[in-house]
Amino acid sequence: MQKLQLTLAIIKPHAVSNPVVLSFIRNLLKNKFVVLRTKRVNLDTKTACRFYKEHFGKFFYNRLVTFMSSGSIDLHVLGHVNAITLWRQMLGPTSVYKGQFQEPHCLRGMFGISDTRNVAHGSDSPESAEREIKFFFPDFSFYHWRNHDEEWFRKGPIIFNDHHFQHVKRL
Amino acid sequence: MNKIKVVLRNRGLNVVQGRYYATTKKKIPDPDEEESLPIFQYPTSKSSDRNMYSWGLAETGALGIHMPRGNKNRKQYRNNFSLCWYPMRSSFAERFDVEHIAAGYGFTVASIKTNEQHKVFGTGINTDSQIGYHAPRMGHPLELLLSPAPIFLPYKSLETKIIGIDAGRAHSVIVTDNEGVFTLGNNAYGQCGRKINPNEEYKGSMVSYNIKKLGKEKIASVCCGQDHTLFITESGKVYACGWGADGQTGLGTFDNQAIPALVQGDVTSEKIVKVASTVDCVLALNDRGELFGWGNSEYGQIPMKSGTQQVNMSYSLREFTRGLGKIIDIAAGGSFCLIVNEAGDAFVWGFGLLGLGPNVEHSKIPKQIPSPLFGRNEFNTESRVEKVACGIGHLAAITNDGHLYMWGRNRQGCLGLGSSKDQYFPLKVSIGGFVMKVICSVDHSVAICKPFT
Repeated sequence: MQKLQLTLAIIKPHAVSNPVVLSFIRNLLKNKFVVLRTKRVNLDTKTACRFYKEHFGKFFYNRLVTFMSSGSIDLHVLGHVNAITLWRQMLGPTSVYKGQFQEPHCLRGMFGISDTRNVAHGSDSPESAEREIKFFFPDFSFYHWRNHDEEWFRKGPIIFNDHHFQHVKRL
Repeated sequence: MNKIKVVLRNRGLNVVQGRYYATTKKKIPDPDEEESLPIFQYPTSKSSDRNMYSWGLAETGALGIHMPRGNKNRKQYRNNFSLCWYPMRSSFAERFDVEHIAAGYGFTVASIKTNEQHKVFGTGINTDSQIGYHAPRMGHPLELLLSPAPIFLPYKSLETKIIGIDAGRAHSVIVTDNEGVFTLGNNAYGQCGRKINPNEEYKGSMVSYNIKKLGKEKIASVCCGQDHTLFITESGKVYACGWGADGQTGLGTFDNQAIPALVQGDVTSEKIVKVASTVDCVLALNDRGELFGWGNSEYGQIPMKSGTQQVNMSYSLREFTRGLGKIIDIAAGGSFCLIVNEAGDAFVWGFGLLGLGPNVEHSKIPKQIPSPLFGRNEFNTESRVEKVACGIGHLAAITNDGHLYMWGRNRQGCLGLGSSKDQYFPLKVSIGGFVMKVICSVDHSVAICKPFT
């Protein structure tokens, strides 16, 4: 059995403030992935700048940063054997205006408003997933995950805790 | 009467089959009875009546048509729906005289003609208090309203009239005749025209802000993009506040603007009569029918010689629209723009399903949508497009006969054509009235109609 891969999903402010969209996305996360951590934060501009420093200099950098710091965002650490590809596949193409015609039934095609307000963020590689998870969840121990939790979450038994919105071990 | 016919028809068979027994008594109508019957005069609709139709995603409550969802313990309603494929008449507009409407991201705001406190009603998503504070219990504000509820605004006089209304992604703006503008909702970018407080809690907030005058002038109308607001004063000056990361505020910067400021560039010397913006691209029209634009131009909505994708100052598009004649109405969508000229021809440019054919295309110059698609033919040569509107990926046009045509991306059935398929060319929406105004939002649309007579 393949090992679980981790990815970070960020639900952007306009999707968090729309209860219909948020419940749709949460349903998807809960049923397709193992949700390991969930956190709702309000980013300030400095943190958002640090998070998106790889985009520094691009024309959309300013609007991405101001958008991400404009409201609450939901952070989820997701586990799945193919987490990174699966989550990005569910999201669809980055550009909403172009992607909504190519893949109308992906999350961005259904709920995206513009190229910046594109519903959610997904890590693009295992390295960046690790970097992003460490950025937002400094207490998340990758050592502990690889040696103990991973096997448990892969084999079970786990149950879903609706209150914390994450999967937990069934004791 | 049918019973009598049966008896009469069967009479011929009696000879063969023997006797026939009529089960009911014969009823022979009295010739004078008709005159003695009372005459009922059913009420007909007046030309001043206004109907409101809405369609699209109903789950957010933005349609204001609330059918309780059935479950095992409760009564199942036949129309237990989350989407509304066809225009549905709103019962709210039957009870009140609706005057102005506006639709934001998952919510609708409507103003009514009245001299009472509650002049503005809202329905739909309320996570940023964009339609006021509504709580069944104190401290437990509602996130979602399924049917219209009055929005409390602190008017000084109850004689105040609402003259305009618009809504963005999470804020709504109400223009009054004497008391300036009231803004409600999210102010994370300063789109409400007040100081940005990064730690402000918008859910369940009771704040409404009043902008009395801009530059010592009254505000005549207002237009909201998703996260910015544009005001037009009585002398035709344009003020902007809110998110400016794409240059939507037209102030020459890419920063958020908290206090409304005068838009820079070519519009400063013009008398602007209309501003249109849905997402991040802004178009403006002056009193001589000339076009101006600023904001997002990633798909060539505001074509610049330098090819810049974010235009942060207003530029005249006179050269670009040369030969189209006087422009009478404008609309700016997410990645395209739509204009109408005096002759009633609609022109479109940008990226998306523009109504020019089955392919998603990118047009760099204004292309005319063939006028036969809007009902102009040999039998009806007078048909003209008069008003246009744009959503994020869908477009709408109203002709002088009050017909509504819609096309584009059909997100959650917002085209009202009875299906979820994208529409490649303008198609008439079946609405039982003379359409006066249509508002396209992200995933629902609202129209105000008057009776045909």
